[in-house]
Amino acid sequence: MASNKTVDIGKRMRLQEHLMKYFSFSAIVILIIAFSASQQNFLGKANLKTLLSDSAPLIIMSIGMTFILILGSIDLAMGSVCSVANVLTVMVLNDIGPSLSSPVLAAFLALVVSIIFGAFAGVIQGIIHVKLKVPSFIASLGFMSLWQSVALLITEAPVSVAKAMWPAIEWVKVTFGVIGLPLILALIGVAILYVIQNYTTIGRSLYSIGGNERASRIAGISVDKVKISLFVVSGICAALGGYFLAAKLRSSAPRVGDSFTLLIVAAVALGGTSLSGGRGGVLGTVLGVFTVSVIQNGMNFIGVDAYWQNIVFGLFVLAAVAISVDRSVRGLVVK
Amino acid sequence: MAIRNSGNMSITEEFAAKIKRDNQKERIMKLAPVIVLFALILIFSIVCGKDFASLKNLVAVLNQLAIPLLVAIGLTFVIMIGGIDLSINGTVGMAASLVGIFVMNNRFTQFNLGIGGILIGILSSVLVGFLAGLIHVYLRIPSFMVTFAFMYVCKGIGLLSYSGEPPTILDPVLAELPKKSFIGIPFITWMALIVLGICILIQEYTAFGRYIYAVGTDESILSAVGVSVKKVKVKVFTLAGLCFGIAGALAAIRLGQGQVNVGEGLMFPAQAAVVVGGTSLAGGKGGVINTIVGVLVMRVLSNGLVLMGVNPYIRTGIEGIIILVAVALTVARGAKVISK
Amino acid sequence: MANTIDNKLLFSAKNIDKHYAATHALKGVELDVHEGEIVGLVGENGAGKSTLLKIIIGAESPTSGEMTMHGEPYDPKNPLDANANGIGMVFQEQSLIVSLTVGQNLFFGHEREFSKFGIINWPKVYKEAQQVLEEVDISNINPRKRVNELNFATRQMIEIAKVMNVTRQAGDQKCLILLDEPTSVLSETETKNLFVQMRKIAAKGHAVIFVSHRLDEVLEISDRIYVYKDGASVGMLDTKDASEIKLYEMMVGRTTSSEYYQIDKQSKPQEEVILEASDLGLAGIFKHINLKLHKGEILGVCGVVGSGKEEICEVLCGDEKPTSGELIIKGKKVNFSSPSKGLREGILMIPKERLFEGIVRTLSVQNNIALSNLKKLSKFSFVSAAKVKKQALHWIDQMRIKTNSPKELMIQLSGGNQQKVVFSRALASECDILILNHPTRGVDVGAKEEIYTLVREIAALGKAIILLGDTLDECIGMSNRVIVMKDGLITGEFDSGIYNKPSQVDVVSLMM
Repeated sequence: MASNKTVDIGKRMRLQEHLMKYFSFSAIVILIIAFSASQQNFLGKANLKTLLSDSAPLIIMSIGMTFILILGSIDLAMGSVCSVANVLTVMVLNDIGPSLSSPVLAAFLALVVSIIFGAFAGVIQGIIHVKLKVPSFIASLGFMSLWQSVALLITEAPVSVAKAMWPAIEWVKVTFGVIGLPLILALIGVAILYVIQNYTTIGRSLYSIGGNERASRIAGISVDKVKISLFVVSGICAALGGYFLAAKLRSSAPRVGDSFTLLIVAAVALGGTSLSGGRGGVLGTVLGVFTVSVIQNGMNFIGVDAYWQNIVFGLFVLAAVAISVDRSVRGLVVK
Repeated sequence: MAIRNSGNMSITEEFAAKIKRDNQKERIMKLAPVIVLFALILIFSIVCGKDFASLKNLVAVLNQLAIPLLVAIGLTFVIMIGGIDLSINGTVGMAASLVGIFVMNNRFTQFNLGIGGILIGILSSVLVGFLAGLIHVYLRIPSFMVTFAFMYVCKGIGLLSYSGEPPTILDPVLAELPKKSFIGIPFITWMALIVLGICILIQEYTAFGRYIYAVGTDESILSAVGVSVKKVKVKVFTLAGLCFGIAGALAAIRLGQGQVNVGEGLMFPAQAAVVVGGTSLAGGKGGVINTIVGVLVMRVLSNGLVLMGVNPYIRTGIEGIIILVAVALTVARGAKVISK
Repeated sequence: MANTIDNKLLFSAKNIDKHYAATHALKGVELDVHEGEIVGLVGENGAGKSTLLKIIIGAESPTSGEMTMHGEPYDPKNPLDANANGIGMVFQEQSLIVSLTVGQNLFFGHEREFSKFGIINWPKVYKEAQQVLEEVDISNINPRKRVNELNFATRQMIEIAKVMNVTRQAGDQKCLILLDEPTSVLSETETKNLFVQMRKIAAKGHAVIFVSHRLDEVLEISDRIYVYKDGASVGMLDTKDASEIKLYEMMVGRTTSSEYYQIDKQSKPQEEVILEASDLGLAGIFKHINLKLHKGEILGVCGVVGSGKEEICEVLCGDEKPTSGELIIKGKKVNFSSPSKGLREGILMIPKERLFEGIVRTLSVQNNIALSNLKKLSKFSFVSAAKVKKQALHWIDQMRIKTNSPKELMIQLSGGNQQKVVFSRALASECDILILNHPTRGVDVGAKEEIYTLVREIAALGKAIILLGDTLDECIGMSNRVIVMKDGLITGEFDSGIYNKPSQVDVVSLMM
């Protein structure tokens, strides 16, 4: 019977969601147990601290990408937007900072510059994707190469933050127990995006567009506007990631974002956000980020070749996507 | 009002006029890549003078043509079926690394398999293409996601295979190859041209070639004549893997080293070349021959910009803009087109 | 015309039944085709012609019934199977690959027969293609030409040639060719040309089944005509005995009792014009559309598929931009760039394809209901979850939507209940103009009746409705006024008051 079938599909969708949630959860638990069994210090305070504070930039960027993936799109340019924001931050600190009254002001100015840049990157990518109907992976691929060159044009080699400006980036070192300020800020970011996702018109529209863009349009949702705004959010998130990294590394690195693209997608996919759109959320992504961080950290800790990382996360992305992809619409052509 | 000028046309006439306009536009778009190519050649000949318009520079362009051409050919088939392959940097790098390891080299003396080593490198990439195709088709995961993941998996395998220190190829024959040439065209370019010939043959003279066009146009046409769409798609990804593998092997031979990094920066110009050549991202249109023009456009542009002394980072930026413009010009628009 | 009925029987279908989930699409359909014959099939949309063709070509299988071809039992598993038996079909949507040449298209899927070691011998292909083209008398076309350089009429002929060719593979038996609306994209001269070819094909002893909405064409070309309505064959006529009027009378559906559409509850529209279109047009689809919609009025739009009625809905709700003319809503000239702009002016469409355009399957019932009025449920763009839920509960109760909770996923509801959710959404949006594009499509009888009640209630509230009915009967039965469209133009307008409903024959005669 037809009605039975629809009930089954509904059940399966729920099951998939649970599967992904518990998959991440249990992956974290199992990995922690495994790593700490093999290495005594794994759960030590020092390692825990690195683990938690290292994950802050990744959290910020991944939650931005979560929105894009819920839309059913992808943003491959996040890594290079992050790089540009990173070099911009250090440039502002080093070049304009000394002329300002205090390093804190410089830090603030750098933050504003980063955010403005991120929003700008998001707006133009969003407009090109939405208005010109260029598929997001191609549009973002174009911008990936564009921003990469911009970052390298600003600084070809890594530049350290001038000593006089160190107070501007001291905040990364503030900790409360094992939890550092960057993580707290990242979690505040999560909270903000969680509110946007669940309690605002944009958030509601996000899920309906991801679930059925055509129906959302006919129902009178301003699809284009919502999509562009979400690309702005992801651009800002990417830029904030770059800002955090500049503070953490005390230097700029024009290619710092490159390695993040895979990690971001892996984290979001592991967090249960379905690639076919319409399902998932930022809380799941936080779990996904921790899974990624634990694996990364654990592998470093037990001394596995860093080269394994690409393979492991690449396979994780495949597995997570395979589990969460929506196969219930038969006629749909997958390209 | 201007929009009313069709007031005395019947609806069928309007419809026919619309189709005619579309066809005209298509005809112009078909010629555009060639025009752009000649315009670029003209501009650079004027701006750079003898530096550009010389036999020496022509040979230099041909020298750099082989690997971008191979990669773009493989990608063309994938784009023709409406898919995309983002794994290029990884698969080419992996193939190159494995070739480096399995021929006579300075690090892994125990693995010297000679020609067999080259085959292993190529086969690894073929296998990845095959797997990506299988996963894409049977698990119904969009191709960009599958190949995105495979890019990293392959990079990882490449890096891991020589754990950090790329092997230098010592095989005397292979070491000599890059310097060899036949009627002025280097051996490596010849290899690429042979693959090109085979791919044109596949595209134009085999049933499979016809099916590729059909998959890109409308998958139901194939099922109506009893051809498996899935098989065609998997074959296309495998063929692309073969092209990337050969590109990787040649890159390793040319560099004299099995390095994963030879794959870096290949995907982007290839995407741009395919799209600029006139193969539409929606599939069903274009082909290998279009891609030759596209690759030439990209190579001439890059060569001209180098001669003009333009910063290499600006060059990559320009590539990014080119791909955006080319796609934006060719992509279908309208209220009902949903692009993700 | 020759008396073809004395010829040998080529194909016959007996007692074909087809059930889809909720609908009984074919009810004991009969069809006989003789060699050398052109048989016309006519009927309203949804009368079952397309389903029958799909069954004959093997794209669908019948629930029960039998078919024979060349006197043998015939039960195709797929179109290939049908081809092998000498049956081929030219589909409404063209199946040529436009970037390939004519010859390549003709032998698509049969390349192996021309290959040696996997390499296709193109000269041989083109030589044979030339022969095939000669057979359908279009030998002036170079088989090496790409299809996208040809006009639609030629493409149509190539499709026919392609079908002739696949059926020819079945040996030198006579074959059966199905043409589904082949003339819809052709000009008059091109149509004449097509008919000449069809005659030639028939003269060779092959048979053609011809489906068209244009009765004059059917009368001109066919030897016999089968008339279908509501999924059953209602009669067969020799063309010489048939006339347009006779066909109209046969094909109109049963007129349902006035209670079914609750005609007594039909309210009188108010004087105030709420929407006015003047000389509205969409290039190549429709033009010169002038209509006025009053408050509280149900305006039915009738027309066959391809008459442009669907596109009018899209233009009115803002999904497409018109290429000419103007649209005035509540006295204000409007220019919608998207349905969201339309919603702002109080116009909303309930789309035809519920699954693809109407609902978001991955969202809950309450969120689906809140899709079109999110702004009203929020303050400073913060959505109140309580209001969303309250609104959902209100409508679930009001519409008697069967669901366990407002949080249930949309995908878990039955078709009728999903449609009620779509209606709830439209009503919650408080729009004054609703465009109902096939509101009862794919819902069961009980839900249908509830929807009719609802539409009546909405109109009584003073809202204006544009209705595209699933059947002509429904469209006339529900509306206050009916406009009829044909080939992108308005061909007629009828008052459809409680006591002066127009006859279906009158309406159909303007549609076809």
